[in-house]
Amino acid sequence: MLAYILRRLISIPFLLLGVASVSFLLSQMTKGDPLAALVPERQMSNPEIVNAVKAQWGLDEPMPIRYVRYLGNLLQGDMGTSFSTRRPVALDIAERLPATLELVIAAMIIGTAMGLALGLLSARFRGTVIDSLARIFALLGSSLPVFWSGLILLYVLSVRFSIVPGTGRLPPRVDPPPDVTGFYTVDALLAGNFPLFLQALSHLALPAFVLGWAVTGIITRLVRSSLVEGLSLDYARTARAKGAPERVVLVRHALPNAMIPLLTILGFTFAYLITGAVLTEAIFSWPGIGSYAVRAAASLDYPAIGGVTIVGAVAFLLANLVTDIAYAWANPRIKVH
Amino acid sequence: MKHFTLKRGLAAAFLASSALMAPPALAQGSDTLVIARSMDVNSLDPARAFCDTCQFYLTAVYETLVTLGADNKTLVPNLATSWEMNDDLTEFTFHLKDATFADGSPVEAKDVVWSMERLKNLKGSPSFLVDDLVSAEEVDPKTVKFTLGASNSEFLNKISAAYTGVINSDVAKEHGALDGVDAAEKDSSEPWFLENSAGSGPFMLKSYSPEAELRMARNDAYYGDKAAFSEVVVTQIQDAVSQAQALETGQVDIAMQIDPDTAASIRSPDVKTEIVPSFNFVYMGFIPGAKGMKDVLTPEVRRALALAIDYEGMLDFTVGGNGAQQAAPIPNGFPGTENLVPRTYDLEKAKAMLADAGATDLKLVAGYPNDNVYGVDFNIMMQKVQQDFAKAGVELELKPLTWAVWRDELGAGEWPVTAVYYAPDYYGSAQYVQYFGMIDGYPWAKRASVGDFPLVVNPAEGPLYEQALRSSGADADAAYAKLGQQMMDDAIILPLVSPNLVLAYRDDIEGVRYSACCNLPLAEISRK
Repeated sequence: MLAYILRRLISIPFLLLGVASVSFLLSQMTKGDPLAALVPERQMSNPEIVNAVKAQWGLDEPMPIRYVRYLGNLLQGDMGTSFSTRRPVALDIAERLPATLELVIAAMIIGTAMGLALGLLSARFRGTVIDSLARIFALLGSSLPVFWSGLILLYVLSVRFSIVPGTGRLPPRVDPPPDVTGFYTVDALLAGNFPLFLQALSHLALPAFVLGWAVTGIITRLVRSSLVEGLSLDYARTARAKGAPERVVLVRHALPNAMIPLLTILGFTFAYLITGAVLTEAIFSWPGIGSYAVRAAASLDYPAIGGVTIVGAVAFLLANLVTDIAYAWANPRIKVH
Repeated sequence: MKHFTLKRGLAAAFLASSALMAPPALAQGSDTLVIARSMDVNSLDPARAFCDTCQFYLTAVYETLVTLGADNKTLVPNLATSWEMNDDLTEFTFHLKDATFADGSPVEAKDVVWSMERLKNLKGSPSFLVDDLVSAEEVDPKTVKFTLGASNSEFLNKISAAYTGVINSDVAKEHGALDGVDAAEKDSSEPWFLENSAGSGPFMLKSYSPEAELRMARNDAYYGDKAAFSEVVVTQIQDAVSQAQALETGQVDIAMQIDPDTAASIRSPDVKTEIVPSFNFVYMGFIPGAKGMKDVLTPEVRRALALAIDYEGMLDFTVGGNGAQQAAPIPNGFPGTENLVPRTYDLEKAKAMLADAGATDLKLVAGYPNDNVYGVDFNIMMQKVQQDFAKAGVELELKPLTWAVWRDELGAGEWPVTAVYYAPDYYGSAQYVQYFGMIDGYPWAKRASVGDFPLVVNPAEGPLYEQALRSSGADADAAYAKLGQQMMDDAIILPLVSPNLVLAYRDDIEGVRYSACCNLPLAEISRK
């Protein structure tokens, strides 16, 4: 197992190099004006300004030279400077990634907990009203567009009834906690500031619920179908024959087996949400990596596109690795080589 | 062993959720002003910045020699107490007041000279404001003289733009800022300006996180009347609905980008909304130089198409009537626009003119940014144009594009119709002639002709523009009026809507106003 993990870890930098190269070449070949983020529309006809900007950002050089320079810088940990923010891409990502991770982790916890609970209820009370209600709730979560459910819940829970605070990671008048992990909830606790922790948690709750609700649907369906299948298998019959109550058969025998396919879905969903939580980030003014990615793509911000692609690739590679390891751990019949 | 019961579960869920029910931090009584907007910052360096957010940030942090009064027309002293100019409007001399930068050092002529030279030589986005500057010289520590290459009656207006703010040269130079002719290549100060400021304004930059938050702290050493708020926070809230929600809950004090429809949906009695005319406008542009269009989009055909647009219907369709028609590509209220008559809708005449011009079965393509600006959805606007053209027998294919692709195709003449928007950099009409005028080498002449200038150049406009720049007062207004009429006759730029602006703020806030040069003057805002 250890050798397998090491082999996978060693392959990651090479895979990333490939991803970075493909990302660079694709973005260069994409139709569009790379000066869109550098020269305002009104000055795009001014050759003096356009030439000065091209020279300053190295856009006047042939693509092969830019490619070699990009890879050279990348190997030294320099992702370049964003055309839009005019700051190092690594700095932008370092500021934004923790916000997204905090949101996605919270959403995954909520989504998984709700999905498991609803899947269990559905399977236990199959064919009853409880089953229907659980499935409808799950279906709504995965069917309703996040921008709609987010706005409606924000309006009802924040504007109309003041149950949760508004958008953002903290109230604008509040200074964030000293930066340690970049997770405001964790950093507030590390700073011993419990009221700030509660504020950060209350700001996190609704966007995490909305994003988690979207994840709930697929988990509920998967857990329910696996449990229903498991409950009809020999081991379940044996447990019942030995006098185990149905609750015990469900939770102790069928559920662990149902967890195995779930691991794949959880790993993939987590990686996907790292760059895919853009709508939730937009609705809740959450300064994460998703909105950064969309803005970079729309404005052909080559360095930022490259940086975000690498982050997404790392997320998928690590999620796959962790899933494979968890899979082997959960199911001893599976061997990793 | 304790067993799970429904009652215990509910109690635990209630306790957990009550921890999350933190009430929103309300604005009332706070010493911090919070503004919601979708930030478009491209830089915080006065010589590089060019955006709506930059306008009010720079106005709050850096000060210009002159600024625009509350009437949005009159230029009033700012860092300069007085000024004089020669008869041919090529030499301008300014006398500085005893102002100080935030670090306590005096604002001197050398700082003004350095800032203007840098603005010109850095070749950043706003450098066009001083492109006719030949020299800036320090007459004495409190007097500065500018010499221009040609007469320019709008030079004073131009230097009221926020981008001409005076920088503390000693501080900036320490951080890599340069003013020489090699500034465009060698100035390395941009990262420093994203984290620091060096102005003499009532606020200083505290922190900036792109597309998240811009914080300004009060300049407690300000030489004039100090700002009412100790801190101003501009917080990123992307869309109008979310901005309105934040305003209703008291999370923010001012929401800057609420459209009239969203404003009408606000129910909170604690929120005040004012709808005021703006100087922004959205326009459609014809590109006769586009592929296959040289003999098709003739002046007669363009004028016929201009008559085929239902302008009043367009106002209702795009902004629910919350806007105004605009005659020429110069905003209503700017010099020369007083007597210009907006275009009218005359479908029968349009059809007749198209028939006379032999433009039957005309098919056009409109490439435009897939955007929503100033509350105007470009798709909806162009669908209205499509419907109107269809009534005149003209088929218009719509091609919404991302901003980057639109720019790429615009210069290549891929399509003959487009749509864009414009907001003023300062109060003055020259900027519009300089941009929209069908004068050899000018931006829109180049764009419309795709480089074949004789196709669109209007020989009357060049001399009229020179005349406008040589004269001032009523004479300049008259020249701009003629220019406005000429630009209407060109029928290249068709202003479609000048949308109204919604000023939306909590009712304990006062001093909120819209400025043509500076967007939102922060130092004038206070809490009752």
